[in-house]
Amino acid sequence: MAIIGIDSLGYTYPGSSEPALSDISLDIDEGDYVAIVGANGSGKSTLVRCLNGLLQPEPGTVRVAGADPSDPKGRVAARKALSLVFQSPPDQIVASVVEEDVAFGLENLGVPRPEMRERVLEALDRVDLLAERARAPRFLSAGQQQRLAVAGAIAMRPRIVAFDEATSMIDPVGRKDVLALMDDLVASGIAVIHVTHDMDEAARARRVAVLSEGRLVFVGTPAELFASDRLDGLRLGRPRSYAAALRLGIEPIVGEDAAALGARAVRVLGAAITVAVSEKASAGGHATGGDPIALADEAGAAFSLRDASMSYSNGAENQCRAVDCVSMDVPAGTVVALVGKTGSGKSSLLQLLDGLALPDSGSALSFGVDTAGRKADLRTVRMRAPLAVQRPESAIFEPYSGDEVAFGPRNQGLSGERLVERVRAAMDAAGLPFDEYRDKPSRTLSGGRKRRLAIASILSLDPDALLLDEPTSALDPASRDDMLRLIRGYASGGRTVVMSTHSMDEAASADRVAVMRDGRLEAYGPPDFVFGTGWDSSWGIERPFAFELDEALIAGGRA
Amino acid sequence: MKGLEFWKNVSIGRYVESDSPVHRLAPATKYLWLLAIMIPVSSSRSAVVVCASALLPLVFAVLARVRIRFLLRGFLPVLPFIALAATFQVFLSWPGDASPVLAAVGPVSLSLREAVAVVMMAVRFAAMMLAIGLFTSVTNEGDTARGVEDLFSPLARIGFPARSLALTIAVAFRFIPIVAGEFESVVKAQAARGADFGTGSRGPIRKAKAYLPLIVPVTVRALERAESLAEAMEARCYGSGPATRYVDSGGVATDAVARIAAIAWIVAAFVAPALIASVS
Repeated sequence: MAIIGIDSLGYTYPGSSEPALSDISLDIDEGDYVAIVGANGSGKSTLVRCLNGLLQPEPGTVRVAGADPSDPKGRVAARKALSLVFQSPPDQIVASVVEEDVAFGLENLGVPRPEMRERVLEALDRVDLLAERARAPRFLSAGQQQRLAVAGAIAMRPRIVAFDEATSMIDPVGRKDVLALMDDLVASGIAVIHVTHDMDEAARARRVAVLSEGRLVFVGTPAELFASDRLDGLRLGRPRSYAAALRLGIEPIVGEDAAALGARAVRVLGAAITVAVSEKASAGGHATGGDPIALADEAGAAFSLRDASMSYSNGAENQCRAVDCVSMDVPAGTVVALVGKTGSGKSSLLQLLDGLALPDSGSALSFGVDTAGRKADLRTVRMRAPLAVQRPESAIFEPYSGDEVAFGPRNQGLSGERLVERVRAAMDAAGLPFDEYRDKPSRTLSGGRKRRLAIASILSLDPDALLLDEPTSALDPASRDDMLRLIRGYASGGRTVVMSTHSMDEAASADRVAVMRDGRLEAYGPPDFVFGTGWDSSWGIERPFAFELDEALIAGGRA
Repeated sequence: MKGLEFWKNVSIGRYVESDSPVHRLAPATKYLWLLAIMIPVSSSRSAVVVCASALLPLVFAVLARVRIRFLLRGFLPVLPFIALAATFQVFLSWPGDASPVLAAVGPVSLSLREAVAVVMMAVRFAAMMLAIGLFTSVTNEGDTARGVEDLFSPLARIGFPARSLALTIAVAFRFIPIVAGEFESVVKAQAARGADFGTGSRGPIRKAKAYLPLIVPVTVRALERAESLAEAMEARCYGSGPATRYVDSGGVATDAVARIAAIAWIVAAFVAPALIASVS
């Protein structure tokens, strides 16, 4: 039985000439698990908003549990049947207490208080937040906040829950929890719609619908999709284990994890594969090898921290130590990946390196300048190693792209021909060719291009180092690859990059990995050390897929 | 932290979790008592009434086990204004002021009437600051909003949007740290690119221009986030019909007594001086 019926649906945003969606027809069954994938701007979020009447499709019809969400009367019925979990965890919290927030939807439906209490507690128990029920949501981690949003959704006793990129702004552990909740919902007969960029996540669904430029271009099982040769043309990737199986030359299986793939590879391919991996390992490759990095000479370092500590809200009751006695050197010309759970101190550490924050105790040196020193010219320090904050595109303010990139060098006092040259070089390096993009209104750029424009506008300072706070977060796979290419291109000129990331696969390709937990530096070394011999599962992060696979292959060989 | 620090982590008011008879009062009761103090101290002409009302926050503070020194700290920011007003009182004389002069330096004199006016003004201000400070330290954000809804609930029957008003207040509270956070992020992004705020620029237009890199993105982001929140609220059936409430803040018998007492206080504050005046 179809619980959602979409028939030749189209939608054009007011003021836009191009339709965001056109001619979409799709049925979703009771208890189904459907992933909706597609690049940024392909219309995924628009489609979800048409399902519960946040947007009214024109033309076409939508039926949700028999109701028409574009009709004012049907809208309430549709919203009762279909709950939404949005992308940004803090932006969907209404109340100032956890349990009151879960109750918000029930209050709106006019549910009597005793029943409301029962449903709130039940929903909180299901997302494992019962113990936090009297706390203020803003003190929860992003992952917990997202589970809170799920609790608010399931308290409505919906028949469908739609997740709109709900895992894209939380750390790997939080993401795992939310994905497990989706499985739990499906197991209890509630249909799940999961809008995502991540093919590993899409592979968990029963069916995948692919949107491209507002059109539905594929509907089928994940296995059918990943076997399809249209994948590259759609700018979509394959799940990591699927791609790895193809590389190993064995039959790919959708949804297999690294351990299972490794074990199977050893069975199918025999000991040869294990020998190859072990040799690579003993030659200093993955899974073993590498040493932690001891403190060296500060002289050759781009950045150097000595027992640096920093707290927020000094003296207040909610004082917290964001960086706790960190000592590390970043030699010039290296790429360092900062990893750790949300709130582990990655952003604060980057701000210390940039001189936006100064240590309360200890010292922070940026290219030999003590940022807390009385003679330090912080403006120069910052422009020599500028920081791109999280979602740096939100700081864009000039109407035209070229002017935005010119803001930094103008602050450095450049003008005329030299200014134009700087802007041109930065935009070209960021993959936004100067001649084509200089007069493009910045707000009309796609999400990925906006992000690259923001990076171009610090590249134009001609810095000696880049500090990047989650430069690839919430980007689709193609934009993510563009961004990584930009970063690699910059670093290949012998310059320094320190970037934080939640993707351990990205971290594994850095020269060094620094692991943060509760403001402390837990480990600092080459990826082979951090994810190999030095690995500690209590850090609350994942291991890169390649390391897990290698370990499984070696373990399979020993068995 | 040194460097660029913002009030992202600051909560509104200074609510301190505690369990006292005052904390336990229903929010609407607290609002009523806030009014019972504010109205007389701001508009009563009787010095006795003002002083008596000004003592109330102190009584409540003791009952609520909130340190009075903590409350008085909130009074500090208005001291300069009081000082300024006091200066005016001293320099300008009341027309037809026949009260005895207490002190005189050259042409400037302080009469008894002026002295009383200065003291009364200080008392009025202090009482208001104390009352507001006390209210925020015994009422959490949720109750601050709910109290408004409860207070206006009689009007809700004739169509007054009490719940929407309460929700607006709650959302406004939610947005203070959000906007502060966005502001912080934008300032940091622009500072990393060498922006130098508020220095070296002369003239209002140039000054305003220097802040353009802040105002535009912060406004855009605040609106975007407001839109996200509105969508999330709508998706959860906001405004779909008569709503119920999860938290019962209606109050118990103690509240009924306290509310009657508050109203009685307001009435007495205005009736008693008039009565005394008519008798004498």
